[in-house]
Amino acid sequence: MQRHRTIAASPARNAAEAWQTIRGLVDDTLERRSSVDRADVDVELTVLDQLARMLISAGHLEKNPLVLVAGGLWLEIGTVSGGKALTLEENLNPVPGGADATDWRLHVPQVEPMAKLARTTVKGHAHLSADEAVQPTESAAKTAASVDLDALERWARESA
Amino acid sequence: MSTSTSTSTYTYTHTATYLSDVIMGTIGDILALLGIRPDGAMRWDQDEQAIAAWIAERSLDTVVLECQRPDGAVRPIFEFPVTYKTTGQGEFENSRAAMARAHAKITSVPWGTTYRLFCTFRTSRTPQPGWSSGTRASTDGLRSTSFGTLADAPHASASARYLR
Repeated sequence: MQRHRTIAASPARNAAEAWQTIRGLVDDTLERRSSVDRADVDVELTVLDQLARMLISAGHLEKNPLVLVAGGLWLEIGTVSGGKALTLEENLNPVPGGADATDWRLHVPQVEPMAKLARTTVKGHAHLSADEAVQPTESAAKTAASVDLDALERWARESA
Repeated sequence: MSTSTSTSTYTYTHTATYLSDVIMGTIGDILALLGIRPDGAMRWDQDEQAIAAWIAERSLDTVVLECQRPDGAVRPIFEFPVTYKTTGQGEFENSRAAMARAHAKITSVPWGTTYRLFCTFRTSRTPQPGWSSGTRASTDGLRSTSFGTLADAPHASASARYLR
């Protein structure tokens, strides 16, 4: 389920406030998954506190959103600034979808000149990534399924 | 034929928040470009809030980013002068795209380079947490390049200058 949410940045909010709003949206959305611990989410998102402020202030999230992937949920979170930020009708409700998710990952855009800083920041954090989020397509899913079945068949023959 | 108009009321706080955000975002981009790690989220917030407060009270003249090399030399230096308007009219606009193109002109710095932020003032200012008096490095001998207007807002605008 693909969703997009836009958050008002400056002059409606400064970067810290905009990031706190994004954190709240991610927290509330993931809290609906029984297998996801809010405390773990907070720990991971805290890692992004500095980088997120920089991305928001520099306007990078206006064209290159964060992407939250959790099971079938695909949530893009971008920002808007300027006059549009003061008239934006935000939807900050938790995003439905992916209720069966057992894992989640927040993808940070690798946008220059912050790509290296983004990679360094997320390194070693299982729920954060600076890689581009890959949306599974129907054909890719079928291919994956057929590869698995072929491998299973070969394994069965070799084992017999 | 009927006509309609719409007017927007923007406050000094809007202008201050917007300009401080664009200035800090530009500083963040420059630090990332030069490979200089910023001082952390708490410090970032202190700086952004101080700059916004000083713009709102119209005391801020220029925000200065100094790059301090391991050998003691201070270069490059980036200056962000703020100009105030009397009208309070206009919209929020920025030249981030032009600034991104200007990144090609910024020369690299050696590993271990750190940074300092300074603010200069046109009138007396309200003290802000995390900020104290300091002395800027000399800009004698540095070549100045203007990057033009960085951001425009109803009550003020900010530009950018590069000294190397």
